[in-house]
Amino acid sequence: MITAERKPMEEILEYVRPCQRILLVGCNECVTVCAAGGRKEVGLLSSALQMAAMKEGRTLEVKEITLERQCDPEYVEELASQVGDAEAIVSMACGCGVQELARRYKSMRVYPAVNTKFMGASERQGVWAERCQGCGDCLLGITGGVCPIARCSKQLMNGPCGGSTKGKCEISQDVDCAWQLIWDRLKALGVEDRYEENIPAKDWRTGRGGGPRKIIREDLAQ
Amino acid sequence: MSFQRRLSTGEFVILAEMHTPKGVDCTDMLANARRIKGRVDAITIPDMDNGVMKMSALAGGVLIQQQGIEAIIHVYCRDRNRMALQGDLLAAHALGIHNLVVVQGEEMSSGDHCAAKTVEDIDAIGLLEAVKSLQAGRDMAGLELKGAPDFIIGCGMARCADDAAFEAELESLRKKVEAGAKFIVTPPVYNLEFSTPVIKKVAALGVPVIASVFLIKSVGVARYIATNEPGAHISEDMIKRIRKAQDREMECVRIAGEIIAGLKGVAQGVQIVTLGWEHRLPAILDHAKL
Repeated sequence: MITAERKPMEEILEYVRPCQRILLVGCNECVTVCAAGGRKEVGLLSSALQMAAMKEGRTLEVKEITLERQCDPEYVEELASQVGDAEAIVSMACGCGVQELARRYKSMRVYPAVNTKFMGASERQGVWAERCQGCGDCLLGITGGVCPIARCSKQLMNGPCGGSTKGKCEISQDVDCAWQLIWDRLKALGVEDRYEENIPAKDWRTGRGGGPRKIIREDLAQ
Repeated sequence: MSFQRRLSTGEFVILAEMHTPKGVDCTDMLANARRIKGRVDAITIPDMDNGVMKMSALAGGVLIQQQGIEAIIHVYCRDRNRMALQGDLLAAHALGIHNLVVVQGEEMSSGDHCAAKTVEDIDAIGLLEAVKSLQAGRDMAGLELKGAPDFIIGCGMARCADDAAFEAELESLRKKVEAGAKFIVTPPVYNLEFSTPVIKKVAALGVPVIASVFLIKSVGVARYIATNEPGAHISEDMIKRIRKAQDREMECVRIAGEIIAGLKGVAQGVQIVTLGWEHRLPAILDHAKL
């Protein structure tokens, strides 16, 4: 999933301070799962913003709505009847959702209420960790299902480095050494020989090296 | 007189662009540089422009200065992060290079190492601010330097396809001047009638403008530029003139010389870009009566 964290309250307040009426829009997908911008978080932020406004001697009307998917034009269209006299839209979706709202509602100011962090997985209740950087040319088949690009601090293609100690990365005892994980997996799978083969310098064209990316499925595109 | 001094006293400056080799044999570059020694104020060295891997501009600049010719090196953010940029800037000063031009690196996909990862840790404005900070004795982390470098730094101007693009570029240049750019280098001028008012508008930003003059090498090149660079304004008359000439190469040299001569009094200098035909620089300077 795409993970996110709510922005500091003061930053959100700064955006909405000139407004009397805003539309606060959550998303039912990734940000709901990582508890950053779903229906519940929309409710909490709405109350917090109104209380903060009251403390400042202002009134702030907040209309709350949580869309099924903010990155999907079909669902974003549902807002058309809700925008009304709102002076700004505050989005609690990832950056994709914020941009989709800005694209659709061109005359509206659209502000983000969360910081989009990474593509990750849940490690345990309340903990999410980075797993994928969307390089566009997945290596997991040869690295035992552990991504060296997303999980090695140095993005080494042929690790580990000298900073790997007892399976941990030199940057923190809380970070596993991705290459230790890779080695352990290859060994467990009985394919240690794969480790002996050098992975060549990566072709980054499939990632951001080729500029903003797009997928066009000829069989689906209209 | 140094490039910096000529610029600040309002003298017309003449720059020639020269590329470092793809390899370690610098014979041609240095021979071409020696041919124009004393006839240009400085030689500009691009840094892997068009995304083509070559010897770095820093090394090229040092080699040129060893010939007794002042060098100006390009710096940009595509290939180096803020650490590498600052380290190279300190190295440049220590090696005697004091002139920089901040340019926008070409997209990696258009070069010969298109599989490489683009860095772009900071942008051109960030780099200009970083130079300002280094000159004030602190790095980008705010830490004190043991000895501050000293540079004159300019910036490149992008080719603008239309008025809207020019307005946006003018705003970008304004920001770059505010961030410390002390001169602006324009894209190649092919049409004085079109470019004169453009240069005047850029000069209104309050810093000297150096106009680039590109040596068109053939009818094909002229046609290519006219077709693919909408802001170039190469006229059909110019293309016809090259086509009808008995010695087309010499006609191109003559045209470059005429444009340079025409830019006197319009810009505060010229940068002659010959892209592989540096051996023609003396002839271009002859035709420009420089």
